[in-house]
Amino acid sequence: MEKIIYAIVASNRSHAKLGDLMKGIQGISGSTLYALSFKGISVAVSDFTPSKFTINKGLAIDFARVIEELSQSVTLLPVRFGTFLKSDEIINQLLINHYDSFLKNLHQVENKYEFGLKVLWDYEKCSEEIRVKVASEEVKAADYFSTSTVYTNYLLEKIKKNRLEDALLKHIEQLIEEVSRHLAQINPDCKFKKMVTNNIILDAFFLVKKNKKDEFIKAIEALKQQQADLQFLLTGPWPPYSFVDIAID
Amino acid sequence: MILAMNENKILLNSAPMDEFEKAIEKIENTATSRINATPDNASHGLAKLVLTLIELIRKLVEKQAIRRVEGGSLSEDEIERLGETLMKLEMKMEDLKKTFNLTDEDLNLDLGPLGDLM
Amino acid sequence: MQENIINQSKNITLLEILDRVLNKGVVITGDIVISVADIDLVYVGLKLLLTSVETMREKRLAIVKTSQETK
Repeated sequence: MEKIIYAIVASNRSHAKLGDLMKGIQGISGSTLYALSFKGISVAVSDFTPSKFTINKGLAIDFARVIEELSQSVTLLPVRFGTFLKSDEIINQLLINHYDSFLKNLHQVENKYEFGLKVLWDYEKCSEEIRVKVASEEVKAADYFSTSTVYTNYLLEKIKKNRLEDALLKHIEQLIEEVSRHLAQINPDCKFKKMVTNNIILDAFFLVKKNKKDEFIKAIEALKQQQADLQFLLTGPWPPYSFVDIAID
Repeated sequence: MILAMNENKILLNSAPMDEFEKAIEKIENTATSRINATPDNASHGLAKLVLTLIELIRKLVEKQAIRRVEGGSLSEDEIERLGETLMKLEMKMEDLKKTFNLTDEDLNLDLGPLGDLM
Repeated sequence: MQENIINQSKNITLLEILDRVLNKGVVITGDIVISVADIDLVYVGLKLLLTSVETMREKRLAIVKTSQETK
């Protein structure tokens, strides 16, 4: 029998309270949730042995549910799904060995929510505009080649394609730059994943104080109104998955 | 399987659902299907990997070459040779893709001029 | 039509959940090791495991937990 761990929880020494909380939350696959504690920090655990028959997306979603339910009442650091350890002793040792970094990270996320924002651009529309602009800047074979052969024609097409690509790339980078700047102004505690694709250009994560939640959402909505060519997908509030900086061997 | 609580985490969505759903799925799939740990499709996966790499290099080389051509420092002869070589490389790549039954999408290169090569 | 939007919302939410729970959070390498014929082959992040679990069912792979004790 093995153990799966769900989260690092700030129990603040009220173990009884945490125990009660866990009684009301079911672990994955009907297992019983319990806590192992050390100086005000606890690990949420349940007995579960992984096998190729039981590990599936449904279980991962159930795992997320447990974290979600826990986070309604306590500050926690979610643990990646699939972390199985052999015994309580090992888990306790882990807790003791990494106590300081857990404490620090818990403090960073205390009273905060995570929000995720995906920004899409209208590739068709934007590229059309740029396409028109680039096309107007005529590229003539004579500018580059003194004769016309099948190879110079091929190269000419490539040159035109290249110019369009450069223009598109420049445009998208400017867009990303502008949006991420605005977003950082709205909430400085953020992380960006900048992407250059035909749809998603930015994947952003924010750590927002709980009492500033509504203000934040309004600010994002306002930004969306300003950006006519971009689409926004805002999700949340989430437990602070993206703001956990701990990796342990 | 659906969460019992907080079923819908979406706070603001300005676009038709399809767009986001497709886009997110694509990111998910690209990352997960890039490596597949089964012996069955190991060779297919390997071909994909190798061709993706080759295509990336080919595109980089092509870009550099075009820059040289645009720069105007090449002789007529050099331009001809460059054009011929690039054209043949591209054709060869198409052949390879057909041989292994791979599309640009498979090689994660289906995204128009803006590659998504992660 | 309304139902379709609701389903898509749920799908997007599920995708977001999976992305977080499989790719983020505290990482402790007490992960799963896939071994074939008792030979440990590779550490597999759970994400890969989830996507190939259907194909793995046909193969006789033993999933062995790595020992956390070997520290």
